[in-house]
Amino acid sequence: MRKGKFWKTESALAFFFLLPACAFLLLFMFYPIAYVILMSFFRVNKLGDLVNFSGLANFRFMFDRPEFWQIIVRSCVWTASAVAVKTGIGLVIALLLNVDFRGRKIARGLVIIPWASSVPISAMIWQWTYNNDFGLLNHTLRTLRIFGEPPIWLAEPRSAFLANLWVDIWCGIPFMALVFLAGLQAIPQELYEAAEVDGATPFAKFRFVTLPLLSNVLTVATLLSILWTFNDFNVIYVLTGGGPGTSTDILITYIYKYAFQYLRFGPAAAMAVITFAILLTVSILYARSYFKGGTVY
Amino acid sequence: MRNRNFYLVYPLIVFILLVLLFPFFVMVSTALKPLEEVYATPPHWIPRTIRWANFADIWGKYPMGAYFKNSFIVALGATLVNIAFCIPAAYAVARLRFRLKSFIMYLILVVQMFSPIIVVISLFKIVARLGLLNTLLSLILTNSVFTLTFSIWLLGGYFRNVPKEIEEAALIDGCTRFQAITRVLLPVAMPGVVTTIIYTFITAWNEFMFALTFIQSMDKRPLTLGLYNFIGRWTVQWQYLMAAALLALLPVVILFFFIERELVHGLAGGAVKG
Repeated sequence: MRKGKFWKTESALAFFFLLPACAFLLLFMFYPIAYVILMSFFRVNKLGDLVNFSGLANFRFMFDRPEFWQIIVRSCVWTASAVAVKTGIGLVIALLLNVDFRGRKIARGLVIIPWASSVPISAMIWQWTYNNDFGLLNHTLRTLRIFGEPPIWLAEPRSAFLANLWVDIWCGIPFMALVFLAGLQAIPQELYEAAEVDGATPFAKFRFVTLPLLSNVLTVATLLSILWTFNDFNVIYVLTGGGPGTSTDILITYIYKYAFQYLRFGPAAAMAVITFAILLTVSILYARSYFKGGTVY
Repeated sequence: MRNRNFYLVYPLIVFILLVLLFPFFVMVSTALKPLEEVYATPPHWIPRTIRWANFADIWGKYPMGAYFKNSFIVALGATLVNIAFCIPAAYAVARLRFRLKSFIMYLILVVQMFSPIIVVISLFKIVARLGLLNTLLSLILTNSVFTLTFSIWLLGGYFRNVPKEIEEAALIDGCTRFQAITRVLLPVAMPGVVTTIIYTFITAWNEFMFALTFIQSMDKRPLTLGLYNFIGRWTVQWQYLMAAALLALLPVVILFFFIERELVHGLAGGAVKG
């Protein structure tokens, strides 16, 4: 009886405490999501007003365009390659920073800076760095004779895509490095000592001690990175605006272009719903692996 | 053994740092160049003459003062709104038992990952209907919403790590629940509150897409959008843009160093807690 009452008051208090945040989220997050889903099934005029129900017309409109499928493929290539490179370089940096050397703290601090920096502003700096005539990147590449004649990065579809991809990778490396470093430091030293006693080579130690114990961190960080990379609007919008043409657009920038440049809100909403479904799936995977590391709440 | 590591680690680390920090080197170098050197071919890595006046010029040539003020208002406003909603919610998820709790925690974690692009289309309509287009308030609201879930997550984690007994002792000594939170829990969990505040402030300061969508007039632009519009003009004065970028980055980069560890742990969760 008393226990029941306590539970009741605690529940009421929790409700009271959560109400403001939930109301706020409901109004500015869940309602807009519901509205976008609604929009995707309607004909929408240039002001963004719903005109009439049109079923799957918006979806069909996008599916009939070859460009849309190109952009889906490009978004996948973009995400997969950027995440793979970030994971690889991040792991290498983490392994280096895990070695005890003088100046390690300073090196760790410097590695963080690209993450600490504002993404749109970083993209602006990179735009200048990529400049063919006056930018220092191509000047450096020419001087070091890495490229006889380096590409005019942002002018052609292929090199512009690579240029965008690199800036996204560059922004994402520090987080990966830091997460992996935290994961490495959580591995008990005794395991390495035990492996050494058993005569394990450095590679065997990495393969049979480090990697298995890092697998949980790897999963969480990779899923997180997939979400961020897939969502990266700032880099592409600032660097190339998806250009030349739509050759460097990914789904996220293409949605924005459709809505606010072409003012075709219906198809944009349809693409947003597709994106929402993709993100929801990956987010759920992320949440699952997050909780797997130990129940937090 | 250690020596072999040394010779392998140093060159690699130096190479990686050179690559990672290269654009910042470009930024500083360009920000200090006079116009003739900005457009010199071949470009100079290090300016031959240093022109500090670039940092003074930008305040007169561009509405930098307004950009800074707007970014500050948006970031501060978003932080205040966020923390006001976040503290009670974080307390509830950390301390109280209630139905559907694990579901709500799950939801918070999932929602945190949604891209603002998904909702910006309909949010634009909502902001317009509320009469908030071209106001800083629209940015304050959207930024605080999109930082709220992660803030609850972060701060809830801090609250949970404060031993429950301290509060219970305060309750027994005659404190009300409200006093137990404000006088006992919050002071102890202050590092967590500061982390949450810095996280929200930085995120709002760096935000670009909402500003691009909701703000039309020059005098309402925050820094990110203002700087982006440097590029929109037919000749970009890169030395000015780089000087402005340096000033815009400095405060948030410094603040970021206070919270990076907490961010890593908050985002990766149990996976990195040894």
